[in-house]
This record gives sequence, structure tokens and C-alpha cells, in this order.
Amino acid sequence: MTTLKLLILTLALLRSPLFLVIGALALLSFYSAEIDISVVIIEMARLADSPLLVSLPLFIFVGILLSESKAPGRMLQFTRIFLGWLPGGLAVISLVVCAIFTAFTGASGITIFALGGLLLPALLEEGYQERFSMGLITSSGSLGLLFPPSLPLILFGVIAEARIDHLFLAGILPGTLMLLLLIGYAVIKSPVRLAKPAYSAKEILHGLRVIAWELPLPVILLGGIYGGLFVPGEAAAVTAFYVLAVELIVHRDIPLARLPAVMSKSMVLFGGILVIIATSMASTNYLIDQQVPVRLFEFIRGFIDNKYTFLLLLNIFLLIVGMMLDIFSALVLIVPIILPIAEGYGVEPIHLGIIFLTNLQIGYCTPPVGLNLFLASYRFERPIAELCYATLPFLGLLFLTLLVITYLPWLSMVLPRLLG
Amino acid sequence: MTEAAALYQTSKVLVILDGIEEKLLCLLLVAMILLACLQIFLRTVYSSGLLWIDPVLRYLVLWSGLLGAVTATAQGKHIALDIFGDRIPARLEPWIALLTQLFSSLAAAGLAWAGWLFLAGEIEGGGDGPLALPLWFWNGIFPVAFSLIAGKSALLLLMQGKALVGRNETPGNKPQ
Repeated sequence: MTTLKLLILTLALLRSPLFLVIGALALLSFYSAEIDISVVIIEMARLADSPLLVSLPLFIFVGILLSESKAPGRMLQFTRIFLGWLPGGLAVISLVVCAIFTAFTGASGITIFALGGLLLPALLEEGYQERFSMGLITSSGSLGLLFPPSLPLILFGVIAEARIDHLFLAGILPGTLMLLLLIGYAVIKSPVRLAKPAYSAKEILHGLRVIAWELPLPVILLGGIYGGLFVPGEAAAVTAFYVLAVELIVHRDIPLARLPAVMSKSMVLFGGILVIIATSMASTNYLIDQQVPVRLFEFIRGFIDNKYTFLLLLNIFLLIVGMMLDIFSALVLIVPIILPIAEGYGVEPIHLGIIFLTNLQIGYCTPPVGLNLFLASYRFERPIAELCYATLPFLGLLFLTLLVITYLPWLSMVLPRLLG
Repeated sequence: MTEAAALYQTSKVLVILDGIEEKLLCLLLVAMILLACLQIFLRTVYSSGLLWIDPVLRYLVLWSGLLGAVTATAQGKHIALDIFGDRIPARLEPWIALLTQLFSSLAAAGLAWAGWLFLAGEIEGGGDGPLALPLWFWNGIFPVAFSLIAGKSALLLLMQGKALVGRNETPGNKPQ
């Protein structure tokens, strides 16, 4: 049995679908424990009790719809007009736009494709160094991960059974800190400008008019949830309905004939994530049944008695995880095991979620499997090593934020406590 | 695109299935959006709502996800670890692909088997789900989806095997 399990784990490294690897391991484990294997499906069917799950497919659809439309270009135009006067102009704009766009498209790398192609030539034209520009775009492909309604935040909520509205609030200050640090760096690195860009009243009005329909999105979303109008799952439906109407009827960016393809693309992406969640429900149940997290906690406590040492080791562990796994698999596989251990050390689940996602965000930019590096390398036709080097200063700042987030729980917890 | 994903387009059965699945997925997604919005509308305007909407929505999420996973199977779009990347020797690659496909078919068949066992239990002892429909109807998607995944994987395995044998018989013709 152990040999069989090892063989399956080897197959996992050779591009076998992860959900089948987890599923097969769960089936074998229950079978060898002489438990009826239908338990695996019973565990999966428990997903029908989760009211949060509905927000996943709907936000995935919103993200794909937005990225297939011309919304990224409109956002860029709008921010250029209204934030162009800031020191660090375009670099700051790039960071802000990427962060907002990533929050809505779920950090699946869409940002680098949708915005990178527009931003890189513009940055170079304004005299930014090439290395700086590449690093900026590569690392900002996952910036905004901590802002609502990012998919990884929702997924963490689903798995940890934590309140999504609290998670949404918890991410705002840490995400802003990260953004501000990067903006500070961008201001230092930006070239001297001869003249500040000036826009005529007509241009400003036009800029406002084109974005007028997409601008209220964050307000609808957050206002709806925190104004008590609807729960997060419903917020996803309202957002989906609104974006669908705007892109299809108002802007007509996506022809009706293309809609089924966009819809099924979203559902295929969701399906890939759902089956991993489903199978891991079963495997997690087995692990908990065998008291693995408890025993792991006992074991670790033999070496570490201090919450802060634990957090440091947790960060190192998660950074390695972030290097090896994509964010969805990492969340689904690691959270159920880490959560009880972290709670044993007195780390709050919401704080853990923010630490988790910050680590995984850094993992996006680190070899060997950093998604951002690959996408940027593909998009800009540059070797990975060069992009790695270019992202180093940005990674440094992300690490700094990680330290602050880890050792200053207040930053994550203050908003949920005040407003939640 | 992976080799398997390119291969699937040569199979008529898989392409037709894909078309049906796409329509179903669109239908499910539209239903989810409309039902959730209707619920908010009823609650805000009439301060009431339909009790059945929330549970039905939760099952629609499962249906759309599992059906999405069925579609992802033939398109090679399942999330997988890719630690070795291009470091696998080109000569070994088709054999490894065949091996993982064999594993996928078996694992999916195992899940399908567990699914049918589960369904038998549900038919025997399960209660009613939303809309007074029996629970086994709503949960029936599990065995159905996993069986479809297993079937598709087996079909791809056959096609890959055939392509590999064909390639070895005519060593002069290196495939693209």
C-alpha cells in the first residue's frame, strides 16, 4: 500500500491532475483503513452546505469577462488622467491599476497579459529603466491579492470556514502597506520629468465617461456587503450581472456569439479548482480522523514553544510551498493541516489567512515555478533568469511587508474588529 | 497546448461532448446569476424570498464545477504540478504522458466507483433535497461526472497509445 502511495506521489510530480492524485490517495487510505470508500464522495457532497462556494464561479466569471473586454485599457486611460500628476507618475499608475485589476481577476496571471502589454512600452517610452519596468510588471502581476474580492481570499475563507467579509477587511491595510512601499520605491526610481502631463477639460471628461460604468464596481461590491444589502455570495452574483450588462450592452466589447466561450472557459477554470477542493475534503477528513494535525502540533511543540518562532518557521515553510505549488493547490492542501496548528499557537485564522496569501504572493515571483516569471517571460520573450534578477528589489519590499504583516497582527485585525 | 489536448480534437465523440458540455455550463452559470439576483430583488423589494433558491444555488455550483471539470479533462486544463518542466528528456515524454493518463483513468474510475456506491446509499436511505426532489438526484452529479472523466481519460489513453505505436512503427516520420 505504501509503495502504491509513493508511486502515486511520483506521478503527481509528472503532471498528473492534482485532484486525481489527492482522490486516489484518499480512496486508498480509506480502503486500507477498512472504511467504505463511498465516504470519499460523502465528504465531497458536504460542499453543498457551503453558502460561500457560489462566489467562486461568479467571481472567476467576472475576472475573465473583464480581462477579455477592453476594461484594462479604459482603467489605464482613466488613471493616467487623474493620477498622472503624482511624482512617479506612470510607475505609480501601473502599480495601482495592476492591484485593482488583480483583485478582480483573481491573481491567475491575467494581469500580466492584459496590462503588461500596455504598460511596458509606455513605461519605457517615459524613460524608465528596462530592468525596473520589467520587475515592476512581473511582480505586480500578483499585487492586489489581498484586496477584495480576490479569489484566493475567498478560497481561504471557504477552506478555513472563516468569515469572508472579515477576510476582505483584513486584507485592506496589509495590501495598502505593500502597495505604498512599492509606490515609494517607484517614486525613487522614476526618471526626472521635463513637464507634467496636462490634460484638457475635454480629455478629462472623456476619460471619466469611458470608465463611468466600471468605476462603481468596488463601491457596489463593498458597499453592498458592508452596507448589509447582500452576503458575499450574492455580491458575486450582482457583480457578475452588472459586469455582464456593462461589457455586453453598454460597451459591446464582447460580441454575444463569443459569450458562451467566455462562460465555459470560466466554468472550466472553476471546475479545475472545485474538484481539488472536493477531493481534498476527503483527504483532509482522513488526516483529521488519524489525528495528523494534532500529532504534528504535539511534535512541533516539542521544539518550539513560542508563537513568534512558530510564525518565522511558518513563513519559511510557506515560502517554500509558494515556490513549488500554485496558489489554489497550496491553499487547499496546506490550510487544513496548518490551521489547527496555528490556532494551537494562538494565531487567529484571519491573520493566518493574510500571512498565508502574502507568502504565496511572493511565491509567484520566485523560481522554480513562479507563475509571474513564466508569464512575463512568455509575454515579453525574455529569459526567466533576467526577470528573476529584475524582480529582486520588488521581492525585497514584499519580504519587508511580510515581516510587518506577520509580527504586527494589528494591521490585519484592526479593520475586522472595528467594522466586522 | 499539451499533446493530449491537441489529440482530443481529432476525436469526434470528444468534440461533440465538448459542445454539449459548453451549452450546459452556460445554462448553469446564467441560472446561478439570475437566481441569486432574483433572491436579492425579492428580499429588497418585497422583504421576502424563495426558500428553495439558496439550496438550489448551492447544488448548481456543484453541478457547474463538476461539469467544468469534465470539460477540463479532455482539454488538459486540470491543475497539475509541473516541477520538472522541460527537463524531462523528449524521448521519455510520450511514455510518461501515457503513464499519467493510465493513472488518471484508473483514479477517475475509482472515484466513479465510490460515487455509484454513494449514490446507491443515497437512493436507499437519503431524504429529500430542494424542490422536493430526492437528494440522490442532486448528488447524482458526482458519479456521473467522475464516470465521464474516467471515460474521457480512457479514450485519451487509447488515442495516445495508438499514436505512440504508430510513431514507433514509422521511425522516419517524426511527429510535430
